[in-house]
Amino acid sequence: MNGIWKLVLLGAVMAILLLFALGLKNDPRDIPSPLVNRPASDFSAPALEGHQTVSLGAHRGKWVLVNFWGSWCVSCVAEHPYLMELAAKVKGRSDFVMIGVDFRDTPDAARAFLKRHGNPGYAHAQDPEQKIAIDWGVYGAPESYLVDPNGTIRMKHTGPLFPGWFEQRALPLMQGNTK
Amino acid sequence: MIFFSHPFWALLLLMLAMGTAHAEVRNEDPTEAMVRQIAKDLRCAVCQNQSVYESNSELAKDMLKLIRDKVTAGEKEPAIRDYFHQRYGDYIYLEPTGQGMNALLWSAPFLGLGLGGYALWLAMRRWRAQAVMTEKTASQTPPPTPDAAMQSRIQQELERMRM
Repeated sequence: MNGIWKLVLLGAVMAILLLFALGLKNDPRDIPSPLVNRPASDFSAPALEGHQTVSLGAHRGKWVLVNFWGSWCVSCVAEHPYLMELAAKVKGRSDFVMIGVDFRDTPDAARAFLKRHGNPGYAHAQDPEQKIAIDWGVYGAPESYLVDPNGTIRMKHTGPLFPGWFEQRALPLMQGNTK
Repeated sequence: MIFFSHPFWALLLLMLAMGTAHAEVRNEDPTEAMVRQIAKDLRCAVCQNQSVYESNSELAKDMLKLIRDKVTAGEKEPAIRDYFHQRYGDYIYLEPTGQGMNALLWSAPFLGLGLGGYALWLAMRRWRAQAVMTEKTASQTPPPTPDAAMQSRIQQELERMRM
């Protein structure tokens, strides 16, 4: 009788320790977004460059990478070379576009950022009061969402996109969708 | 001027000042009261355990502004809370909702308390049964008679005490 209880106690302690160990591996920033597999909320905002507006709905039928950034964001500087590379890579694709949302920022600072770190060439929406960002459940920058051709959010990436992200994360989703 | 430096006047002035401050709180715009009520329950997503209402972070400030806009536009409290919940998930509430898996979380302490109480009751019942058993055996069986070696030792002790 006593032996069984000792085993139960040992088992309980081991289970708690195991849960702790698993919890340590979690990235605290990687809070699961409830928006994944939900329809993306459309937005239309003045473009950072030029006089047009940038809207998500205009790209229905294509995969859209929506990248939230700001000139005040340090990790965005680290992410920027990959965005440049990705923009050049997908330029020929008819099924994939990129949009930037420059939030909590001033147009001057954002333009200076692009001038200094390079301009990837896709359009950026201005979101000075981070209305779009809050509407999209954004915590900080950079954060990226992948929206499918039906306008459904399929993936959220918190933190900088890493080299190879497109091949490892986006392409499998895109190919799974066309099958 | 000496007239006003009297403690009585100082006290009166203080009371008047407090009175006006109190009146300001009472006459608060009902919109602002609702904004505060909603924002106090929402977690500032980028801070450690602060509500949107208390935080000074940019995200919290913009969230507060959004809540204010929505309240002014006539949206109801559940709708506004829901707006943030849909976008930020359970994490946004400082006090988690009691639905779904969270119900388990809320009830677990009480469940544990109940289980512990039951285990304690079982253990106490066993202790009492054991105590009654030893009492019974003690009263029923006569004390064991000491053997020869023990008896001689007792004798020795008694004699030593007499000396």
